[in-house]
Amino acid sequence: MKRITAILTTILTVTLFMTGCQRDKQLCDELPEGNAVYYWRTDLRLDSTERAFLHLYNINKVYCRYFDVVMDENGEPMPNATITFSDTLPADVEMIPTVYITIDCLQKPHKDLAAKLVKRIRQMNETNDISGVREIQIDHDYTARNMEVYYQFLKEVKQAWGGTLSTTIRLHQLSMEAPPVDYGALMIYNTGDPQKWTERNPILDYRDVAPYLRHLDDYPLPMAAAYPVFSWLRIISNVEIEHTVEASEILKVKHMVEQERENLSRSIITYHLDKDNINRYKPETYEEIYHH
Amino acid sequence: MKRFIITNLLAIMVLPMLACAGGWTTNYYLFHIYNDQEFSERVQKICTDNWKAYLGKSPDDWYWFNADEVIKFAQDKGDALMVSYVQNLEKYLECARSVSDERWEYPTKEDLAARSKSLQSVRTYALSKIKSRLRSQHALLYMRCNMLLGKHQENVTFWEQTATGYIETVYKDMMMNIYAGALFKTGRSAEAGELFAEMGDYNSLMTQYYKKRSFAAIRQEYLSNPNAKVLPFLLQDFVNNAQEADDATNPNAEGVGGKLFIRDISKKEALDMRDFCKQVIKEGKTEVPMMWQAAQAWLEFMFGDKHQATSDIIAAAKLNGTEPMKNCTRSLILYMTSDQAKDSEAFDNYLTDELKWLEENKDYNYVRERVLHQTLKKHYATQPSRLIALYKTCGSYQYDAYIDTMQTEKLEKYLYYVNTPGKNALDSYLKSHAKPDQYELEDLIGTKYMRICQWEKAIIWLKDIPKSFYENKGYAVYAANRSWQVEPWIKRQYLKQDVEYSDTKWQLKNNPKLTFAQEMQKMEGELNVLSGKELEQRSYALATRYAQAHFRGDCWWLMRNGKSVGDTQREGEADLAQKAVTLLQKASMSQDPALKERAIFALCYGNLYTTYWYKNVWNSETYKYDIEPDKGSQQYAALNKLLDFEASRTPAPYVSRCDEFNTFKKLRNI
Repeated sequence: MKRITAILTTILTVTLFMTGCQRDKQLCDELPEGNAVYYWRTDLRLDSTERAFLHLYNINKVYCRYFDVVMDENGEPMPNATITFSDTLPADVEMIPTVYITIDCLQKPHKDLAAKLVKRIRQMNETNDISGVREIQIDHDYTARNMEVYYQFLKEVKQAWGGTLSTTIRLHQLSMEAPPVDYGALMIYNTGDPQKWTERNPILDYRDVAPYLRHLDDYPLPMAAAYPVFSWLRIISNVEIEHTVEASEILKVKHMVEQERENLSRSIITYHLDKDNINRYKPETYEEIYHH
Repeated sequence: MKRFIITNLLAIMVLPMLACAGGWTTNYYLFHIYNDQEFSERVQKICTDNWKAYLGKSPDDWYWFNADEVIKFAQDKGDALMVSYVQNLEKYLECARSVSDERWEYPTKEDLAARSKSLQSVRTYALSKIKSRLRSQHALLYMRCNMLLGKHQENVTFWEQTATGYIETVYKDMMMNIYAGALFKTGRSAEAGELFAEMGDYNSLMTQYYKKRSFAAIRQEYLSNPNAKVLPFLLQDFVNNAQEADDATNPNAEGVGGKLFIRDISKKEALDMRDFCKQVIKEGKTEVPMMWQAAQAWLEFMFGDKHQATSDIIAAAKLNGTEPMKNCTRSLILYMTSDQAKDSEAFDNYLTDELKWLEENKDYNYVRERVLHQTLKKHYATQPSRLIALYKTCGSYQYDAYIDTMQTEKLEKYLYYVNTPGKNALDSYLKSHAKPDQYELEDLIGTKYMRICQWEKAIIWLKDIPKSFYENKGYAVYAANRSWQVEPWIKRQYLKQDVEYSDTKWQLKNNPKLTFAQEMQKMEGELNVLSGKELEQRSYALATRYAQAHFRGDCWWLMRNGKSVGDTQREGEADLAQKAVTLLQKASMSQDPALKERAIFALCYGNLYTTYWYKNVWNSETYKYDIEPDKGSQQYAALNKLLDFEASRTPAPYVSRCDEFNTFKKLRNI
């Protein structure tokens, strides 16, 4: 009887162990440790502060918005606000072309959109002498309604590109099936309702993040975490209104999400590289944000 | 040329960086003396008129530049210079389009080299023709090429040594705009700003002065030149930011608050500015004292003595100023007087004239919005029919909310008000603009009676409304797919996404509100003649209907037009959830074990209560929510009762699979 119990215990233990490993394997095909930034301006031109920032915080990747894809007047997705390359990144920093696609572009499939997008990125790299690009990222606020269209699009991008493909993941998307990409960049910002900006900070408020925490642990995709350091200028009656996030709020949320999913501290991105954003926070804040 | 390609790339370069998101507000800025579309609109119009004149078209004809058409016309006319000019202009525009237009085909290095070569050739051609009959056009073409080629210093030199002496034409204006951009790019930003301001190029000004807006900057500008062209722009920006600061502390200012605006102007800075405005008027150096006095009065109104401010703004109307300054002053007079005026026929008549003026001048819709919500709302607070008519006339977002929440009797009076002739100018004006949509108010009045469970009165108002009225409502999908007979504590009527968001035009069998009201009237009317099990079953059935019609029920659309997580019980409405609870308590006394169990279980339904049996309390150590039971809550007591009831029996499947009940048991360690 003791022997049977021992065998059963062993089987149970092994089974549990294996289940755990498999689960962890899915989740924790971990991203290498690294620091990154988004670059979201329409002209790649770094000043001395921005260059120093890249160096100081060991930034090894820049997710650089190459262009947006928007719907034109004929109902066709078209590139928009394409970046101009007036400058280059430091040699040791990897360029990751990033494309933002508006929601209306992917309400239905568009023939060859993925191929056109990849071809344009390649041409931009070639024209502007950008070499060594291994990865691209797609930024799209998909919902349950267009998830299938988007995921199919991602598969086509992956096939056309051949290299690493990532996508942004907004908090509300955590409850959905994971996208077919190599990893996701969890956007931990724009969490609030812009219409209710007088009540809560629309960029980040831990109370808006908390309800999504329960999805983090089980989300079956490696993820980098992206935090906001930007200010949001809204034009109301021709005068700009600015939103910013307190450093303590960012760190509080970082702590929260890493409590739920430890490996979210491995790959950190801030949104976005800009002298004003750099000066907005103390160096200690950036050190904390980029703390692994 | 499909559209005017803005000559000044400064705006193109920087403005896209300003992320813009739609924001709702009635907090419009009243100090508008600067037209942000003036420059580009003016230039485009003159260019179009010039082409029409050349082609011999009527000034009233619609026209869009077409190079081929002009070339052919010029060839027929034997105008070789115009032919070569337009051919080269088209080459330039093609290059400009390739810079600004977005295509999937990104230019290769060869494309870029070809573009540069093309621009160079057009530039060389244009330079060779600047002594010709079309010298202004060619000079503009030369400067445009320089701009795209990044030769800004050459543009500065060319303007200062050559183009500045040209005769006044639209081409010279466009050259000056390029010159201003070149000045900015070559470090002469003060001069650039003055030129942008003179031209009315708001976008370039905002880009240039974005981080340099303050009392100190205005004062400095004034001291260097009391009539500096940039002053109206800076003053407008300052005063509007001051308004933002004032609104942040004003409980009546809707949709604003907090310290989130970019220029947090203190009261001291605003008052310093007010005093400075007085000083400027006193010095008499300004050519536009109206602007300074209007600014002073508006700042005085916001931060000082409202009565004094009203006198000052009326006086401002008599001073010198531009047309936008006059309109701005008129708007401010309306705002301040409507804030200060007592109720009188004279004010009503004045207001009628001003409403007509605002209606004719659509650009000033924002003034109407702000005046309506900030001053007229207060002025006509005791005259609800007029106020509603004002909301409707002005297209206010508050119209729907106001009529939805006002007392039924007042709404009935309003319906009478809009359907009878006006007795004075204001009423006549309002009544001619405030006609409601057919059945809109009848449905609302009927619904309001439903909300207080006066089914008979509701039926009177609802009986003539056709079902098609409801088929056109946004909630038709719910009306067509949900039933108020389903017990919400046992089954929630969630709709599949492809149903909820489909484009189907939903057909209803009848007027659903009327059917519901009639059913409730009948079922409640029979309560007095029922007894025993029949009465208990009827109580349970009525409770089901009340719970469904409640704003948290699946048939919320019976009582409201929309649903939100923030919905609450409104004043003056029957508490349908409490009615359901009372009825369920009666049903729970039943001797029929099945009905008793259903009723006791139903009483545990969280949507019947304003507070749940537990609270989610944020734990800042674990960064998780903890469940903290609220033992004093009605739902907690109901769950306890269910626990007791089920202790000695086998619960029905709908009870045993209830996760909320199971959580409760777990917390009670059962």
